[in-house]
Amino acid sequence: MSTAHNVEPVVKEPQKYGLLAEFHDVQTLLDAAVALRKAGYKKWDCYTPFPVHGMDKAMGLRPSILPWIALAGALGGVFTILALAPLCNAFLYPMIFSGKPYWGMPGHIPMAFALGILGGTVFVVHGLFVLARLPQFYHPLFTAERFRRVTDDGMFIAVEATDPSYSPSATSQLLTKLGAAAVEEIRD
Amino acid sequence: MASVTTTQVPGMTGDFDNTLDDGVSQAPLVLGEATFREVTRKICRVAEAPRAPMAWYVAFAISTSLVGVLGVMITYAIFTGVGVWGNNSPVFWGFPIINFVFWVGLAHAGTFISAILLLFRQKWRTGINRFAEATTVFAVVCAGLFPGIHVGRPWFAYWMAPVPNVMGAWPNFYSPLLWDAIAVFTYTNVSLLFWYVGMIPDLATFRDRSKTRLRHTVYGILAMGWRGSAKHWQLYERTILILAGLATALVLGVSSTVSTDFAVSQLPGWHETIFPPYFTVGAIFSGFALVLALAIPARELFGLKDLITKRHLDNLAKITLVMGSIVTYIYLMEFFIAYYSGNGYEQFAYLTRIMGPYWRMGWLILFCNCVVPQIFWFKFARTTWWLALPAALLCLVGMWSERFVIIVTVLNRDFLPSAWHNYAPTWVDWLTFAGSIGLFFTLFLLFCRFLPMIAMSEVKSILPQAQGHVHEDSPAAAAGH
Repeated sequence: MSTAHNVEPVVKEPQKYGLLAEFHDVQTLLDAAVALRKAGYKKWDCYTPFPVHGMDKAMGLRPSILPWIALAGALGGVFTILALAPLCNAFLYPMIFSGKPYWGMPGHIPMAFALGILGGTVFVVHGLFVLARLPQFYHPLFTAERFRRVTDDGMFIAVEATDPSYSPSATSQLLTKLGAAAVEEIRD
Repeated sequence: MASVTTTQVPGMTGDFDNTLDDGVSQAPLVLGEATFREVTRKICRVAEAPRAPMAWYVAFAISTSLVGVLGVMITYAIFTGVGVWGNNSPVFWGFPIINFVFWVGLAHAGTFISAILLLFRQKWRTGINRFAEATTVFAVVCAGLFPGIHVGRPWFAYWMAPVPNVMGAWPNFYSPLLWDAIAVFTYTNVSLLFWYVGMIPDLATFRDRSKTRLRHTVYGILAMGWRGSAKHWQLYERTILILAGLATALVLGVSSTVSTDFAVSQLPGWHETIFPPYFTVGAIFSGFALVLALAIPARELFGLKDLITKRHLDNLAKITLVMGSIVTYIYLMEFFIAYYSGNGYEQFAYLTRIMGPYWRMGWLILFCNCVVPQIFWFKFARTTWWLALPAALLCLVGMWSERFVIIVTVLNRDFLPSAWHNYAPTWVDWLTFAGSIGLFFTLFLLFCRFLPMIAMSEVKSILPQAQGHVHEDSPAAAAGH
């Protein structure tokens, strides 16, 4: 209790998240994305209600490792069955079914096929959520009123304040020059 | 703004025919005022209306009553024993397996549309893929129900899984019944995940438009915090593409595996190498008939004629025709091979189909699956609801009858005439089947009312104003330096 008077009220200053710029058509957005990449920005992203073709090229996004995750899952499923079937029917409880060998791979292929697909699917969907860091129920951008339209007809670019090239005035001017209809500052 | 360019056709009236393909400029897939905002509004309107159309309440009341009947019938069958069904010796597989194969088949159109048509870049799929995928999920639910109760003692159903147990006994991995269980388990999970992942951006739209706290919370949780980030879209599109590739293999694999339940046995009429493609094509045929039969009332009821256009119905009917024609070819081939094999048992099995105790159903199949779809050669029939809807329903009747005839006519005429016994379903069988239809429609009606019925983000992405080009040296790009 004696130290209570030393404790200062901890009110965190709202941290700056960055700038949110709204665009009105896809072509301007794509051109702006190319320009931001060329200007050397690193921590920024585009937000659209639908996937824009060519956006990964405009932003310079690298291909993801998702196909490899799917492959790992599919192979995992296939080999699970190819190992489990002989384990059960040939080692743990050897049994002859209709004169077939204990360990006959052709009869196990239909299940290996199905489980391979299941493994690939489960892995790729979980891979999506892990790589995209979803679910994420709070994001600073959700505080902006205009950002609610990102799932309707709104198209945005957000540049984060932690980007080395970020400067509140210069970045804002650049975004306006690139055709942004509105630029606003977002606080965390 | 996006409204600058629309695909509005000048002088277009309410009943515009957009089924003409002139090869140079394709008919529009979205009619009316095709802005992003208008697409959102039209689709969300269905789920955001304070009250559903009256027809929805009537249909929902009927469907939920049938679900009640289903519950009573299952309880009755489990407490009394499977003797309440018509299954007998030698027809051990009666309605449960007929209905199982029928429902699994109905599921196939959704996967076909969302997987194979995606790989072939068929843009028209965007208007119908979401609710076709929903029919897949719900049809698989109905299908899974039947083997579950057919085991008679559902509390031992887990014996099908390789669970370590005190008896040291394991399932037979050579058994097609186990392959089938795994295939349907896989299908359930894959179709559910495909459906859900595809729906996430649209659930986010619902979240952002929600007016009440409850809707905001529920759709917010389901949308997982989706915010339309380009990095997320890249991962999302890649995921959908991989899922489509996997599901394409699956759509060809599931009914093939189901058919091995029959083809791996030694019975004439079942023991045929044509069975895997036969079951798969039949499944896709019945599935498209179902989607056609559902799309016609749904677009009327929920005012979605601008998004599910006549061109969509036209295409659905064309695929139904193609699949129906392949089914016809397979029927002819089966009869031909039975004749050509010179095997008396095989020939007897096929003559039994059209001349045996169930000859009426045999001819009904040939009429419904071979003759009826042929009206879809005519564009008038493809785009006129009062012709297309009854034709699609007859295709469904035909495919159900086909499952009945394949199962019953092979079993009821065993090798020894002394073992012959006819099969007649009981009232419990019929009410259980009716209940499964009720279950399907209950789930489908709930989906129409509370979930995005059309893939908004996908429809938006095919609009002309969603297209752009990446210019590395544009003046705007130079402005960044």
